[in-house]
Amino acid sequence: MHKVLGDKRTIFFLVFPGIFLMFAGILFPILMSGYLSLTDMQDGSVAVFVGLKNYIKIFTSDKTFWVSIFHALILGVSLILIQHPICITFALMLDKIGGKAEKIFRILFFVPCVISVVVTSKMWINILNPTFGLMNKLLALLGLESFQRNWLSDPKTVLGCVMFIIMWQGFGYGMLIYYAGIKGISNDVVEACKIDGAIGIKKFFYVTFPMLLPVVKVSVTLAMISALKQMESVYLITDGGPGDKSQFIANYLYQQAFRGFKYGYANAISVVFVIICLVATGLYNKFIKVEDI
Amino acid sequence: MVIINNNNNNIAKVKTRITKSIIWMIMILFAIVQFFPLVWVINFSLTKDSQVFASNILVMPKPPQWGNYALAWINGAILKNTLNSLMVVTVTIVLTVLISLTLGYGFTRMRWKLSQTTLTIVLLGMMIPIHTTLLPNFLIFQKAGILDTSLALIIPYVAFSIPLGVFIMTGFMYSIPVALEEAAVMDGCGVMRIIFQIVFPITKAATATICVMTFINNWNEFIMAATFLSSSKWKTLPFSVYEFAGQYVSRYAVQFAVMVLSALPALIVYAFLNEQITKGVTFGAVKG
Repeated sequence: MHKVLGDKRTIFFLVFPGIFLMFAGILFPILMSGYLSLTDMQDGSVAVFVGLKNYIKIFTSDKTFWVSIFHALILGVSLILIQHPICITFALMLDKIGGKAEKIFRILFFVPCVISVVVTSKMWINILNPTFGLMNKLLALLGLESFQRNWLSDPKTVLGCVMFIIMWQGFGYGMLIYYAGIKGISNDVVEACKIDGAIGIKKFFYVTFPMLLPVVKVSVTLAMISALKQMESVYLITDGGPGDKSQFIANYLYQQAFRGFKYGYANAISVVFVIICLVATGLYNKFIKVEDI
Repeated sequence: MVIINNNNNNIAKVKTRITKSIIWMIMILFAIVQFFPLVWVINFSLTKDSQVFASNILVMPKPPQWGNYALAWINGAILKNTLNSLMVVTVTIVLTVLISLTLGYGFTRMRWKLSQTTLTIVLLGMMIPIHTTLLPNFLIFQKAGILDTSLALIIPYVAFSIPLGVFIMTGFMYSIPVALEEAAVMDGCGVMRIIFQIVFPITKAATATICVMTFINNWNEFIMAATFLSSSKWKTLPFSVYEFAGQYVSRYAVQFAVMVLSALPALIVYAFLNEQITKGVTFGAVKG
């Protein structure tokens, strides 16, 4: 047995193809990013080594970069303080309602998550359109004409709109994870609650929520990471504008690379971005380990 | 005593019934708010283009303008783009399943020094944002001459699908007993045969989850496709919506029809596989 399982050739054949693909698709590009970030490479030009110049620029004089990080933080906090409580509430209600309705609503709420972000983005652009959009029509119907505006061009509302759309699309996903967490709480505990008379709010704060804590921790951390990674909706809806009012880091990176053709600088942003994500992951693992002890 | 108990029971029953009705109402209300944007799009995809400018929130399309869908189908290249997506995603799923299976076996059963370190590095891949690889991969694919081919999508799609696949597969393999495999080794069965004839059939559930998750994560993928593809030959379904403008800039109803048609394939898959998809989505987080 040991001899068979320790056979170097077999191990190589099993492991090599996957590792090679990951190396080619992920690791090598990141290493290349690391190298190019130390150059001033532009589209078509020869890369000249410039040392840490790009990094110094990011940390000292690039306002857009920091605005992007700040927006990611706002989004992350909003996800945690607004979206997640709604998700938990609906997961609890779903669990309570039971029967056919439980299944139907669970299926319905997830629907926006399977629709392409290109479709939903275009849909929201139309809904928020100032001349024929649903949003302004609804306001007119309610007699709130004074609130009508060009939602995605107004610097005051654009970030809120983008964040709302992201939350709208992600709601079903978050709810499903909490729902599975609630379903994972063993029946014995639920029965014990009934006998001890812990019901309603009391049950939630003393039993359900503490038992959900591991799931809450995982999804809160994932919320922070997904806020950092946010790109497609931003790219398709506002492209970061007007100005930098709805800029996010991945979109900024994309603009620098494929519109500014500043390959060297964009790669430096890329590297900082990867490091931020890995640090977030490190913190996340620490969280989980504490839970295990 | 008996009567009081009965009364209490009745009160409790009425109470749960009231709570349930309230929950019903909240859920329906929320579902309406959540779905109204989609209904709005479907509604106006069936009207004349100018009707979207009327002050009504929804209108009765009479008669329904099915011609919008015909135009959308043809000019949105829905069929070609769907087939492209199908091809790319199918290849991605097959490769991801095969690699997850062999890597999973390599990590959980085979004995080698760097096994656990390598596994950790592979799983770390889940945390890498795809956007950081866009530019370097663009330059690499350009050099390799595979820019604007389906390979430029399949390589990164598979690479980014492997971590989750391995995560699901190793989790599953740890939970199945090795006795059967040990017996097979005694009979002189090779590792490859063990994997494909004994382990693969047992890991059906994990394989199904990997298929579903790889589909969900790659079917709607847009930013890599937008970066690595330039000619229309290999373009995937999201492009039907993204590029549908040109002569149809002011034909809103036709644009809405394209949006509905592009969303349909994934929705149909979801309608049939919602149990599987639910399981797949919650797998990682709950195990956490």
